[in-house]
Parts: sequence; structure tokens; C-alpha cells
Amino acid sequence: MRLEKCWFCSSTIYPGHGIQFVRNDAKIFRFCRSKCHKNFKMKRNPRKVKWTKAYRRLHGKDMTQDSTFEFERKRNRPERYDRNLAENTLKAIKKIDKVRVDREARHHAMRMKGKKAMERKEAAKELEQSIHMVKAPAALQQEASLTLPKIKVKVSQEQSQENRMEE
Amino acid sequence: MAASSASKLFRAGRSLLGGLKDPNGSIGMSKDLPRSYLFSQQQRTFIQMRTNLKVVDNSGAKRVMCIQALKGKRGARLGDMIVASVKEAQPGGKVKKGQVVYGVVVRAAMQRGRSDGSEIKFDDNAVVLVNKQGEPIGTRVFGPVPHELRKKKHVKILSLAEHIA
Repeated sequence: MRLEKCWFCSSTIYPGHGIQFVRNDAKIFRFCRSKCHKNFKMKRNPRKVKWTKAYRRLHGKDMTQDSTFEFERKRNRPERYDRNLAENTLKAIKKIDKVRVDREARHHAMRMKGKKAMERKEAAKELEQSIHMVKAPAALQQEASLTLPKIKVKVSQEQSQENRMEE
Repeated sequence: MAASSASKLFRAGRSLLGGLKDPNGSIGMSKDLPRSYLFSQQQRTFIQMRTNLKVVDNSGAKRVMCIQALKGKRGARLGDMIVASVKEAQPGGKVKKGQVVYGVVVRAAMQRGRSDGSEIKFDDNAVVLVNKQGEPIGTRVFGPVPHELRKKKHVKILSLAEHIA
């Protein structure tokens, strides 16, 4: 059993899922679901579609360089079965997974580090630049010119029954 | 898969970008896919009477037209046998134009379910000419063929094939 990666979105394809397209030069394109297959048929470039892994890696959204990725890799040479080795591997998978998740969280935190300060700075700037547009409620009451004058509008009287009949 | 990985947990990592080449190697995608794009835009269907198929062996025929599917009510699919008439042939080949031949569909643009539940489809409709007993007429097979042919007892075609998908 081999878990393949989707050609478009790079997600894992479990056995029995998805569709694969074999081009005449024998290159195999595997897709995890019809969404990816359709996008391929539309000739979309996965690097330009925002939800794909390729885009996120290219634009620095995800962690790209890490030693934990080395373990999840396609190996063309089959490993000779060894019970102890398999056991150790299963143990290591959990540990590696934990390390990777932690590092990804750190990467995200680093990426978002300056965001709050930036937002606050922008809010302060806006306040400073456009405070003159805001008037205090007390000032509005005193100065009549600041508010729109109230205009009385006449509501037309309802027509009598006879007139309507004539029409 | 990750069998040898346990001891290498904290080994310094090589750049991952090299390993990611496969899903990302798509800059030239729009350039080298125009034909398959056109193919996939229409609904592909069964190989039925009057379907033209490419012949991908060296029997001498270049194009055949299906005149009967030997399996299935609605037509033949990937791996099925058909009866076909030779429409184009190279001079000096084993088969002549107008001859009625048997063939195995080795590539079909219509998707076909695999035993594990996934699906497979190809670029075009292609056939390998065989005799009535199912032995190939030619001695070479070009392009990829599916491994399902083994199940259909066409092992000879599989062994002649360049690529097995």
C-alpha cells in the first residue's frame, strides 16, 4: 500500500480514492477528488491557486524547510522487513509528528508576529487623521447647522371611493 | 516506507524544495497539455460501433474502426476485446486495409474503476491487434498500458509494453 500525493493540491490520496490520468508519454497525474481533477482539466496552475499546498509553500505561508519532512518521502527501494525496525518506526512516527506540529505552530506564530502592532498603528493613524469628522453629541445639539434640518412632508390624502370609481 | 527513519530523527534536513519538485513542476503545464485538455472537455463514452481507434503496435495497421464490442451491452471499455475493421494501414504490414481484425483496448479516454475503487483514464483510445485466441499480431506495443490486462489474460501485451500504469 502506498499513499500517493495529489498532483494538484498535494494532499494524501488513500487507496480507493480519486482518479488518475495517464498521459500518452506515461506520466501519471493523480488527483484526490474531482475538484482537483476539474481544476487540472481547466489547465489551472496549482502554484497560482490559493488553496493548494504548492501556492502556500511558494508564498511562505507554510513551513518549507524542515528536517521532519525528510521522513515522509517516496522511497523507490523497498526496505527489507524487520519487526524491530517496524516497531521503532511506528514509535518514531508519533514523535516526529509532534515535532512537526510544534514547528509549524512556531512558524505560524513567527509569521503573524508583527500583525497586531501593525493593526494598532494603523488604527491610531486613522484616528489621528479623521478625528475632525467626529463631533461630540453635545456639540451637535448646540449648533443647529451641523445636523440636517427637519423638513415636514405632506402625506397625500387618500382619494374618496367615488372618485376612484369615476376614473 | 519510513522504515530507516527512526535513527535519523534530528539529522540536519536537506532543503525540502528539491523533494517538492513533483507537484510544483508545473510552470510549463499550460504549454504541454493542450491535447489532453481538448480531450477531457467532452464526455468520454464507451468504445462502440464506428469508434475510431489508434493501433499501438507494429502489426501494420494505423487506424481501425470498431464494428463490434465483444463484451458489455453498451460497448467495450478498457481491457475489453473488440472486432474492428482496418481503415488505414502501412504498406507491407501484416494486416491490410479493409481486413477485419480482433483487438484489445489498451487505452481508453473513458475512465474505468480499478479493483481498489479508484479510477483510471487515458489520453486516447488505442488498441492492440490480436488474433482470435488473444495472441498479439505485432511484436511491439507502444505507450502505457494498464496492469488490468493481466487480469484479462493478456500477459503477452503487458510484457511487450513500454510502460505499465
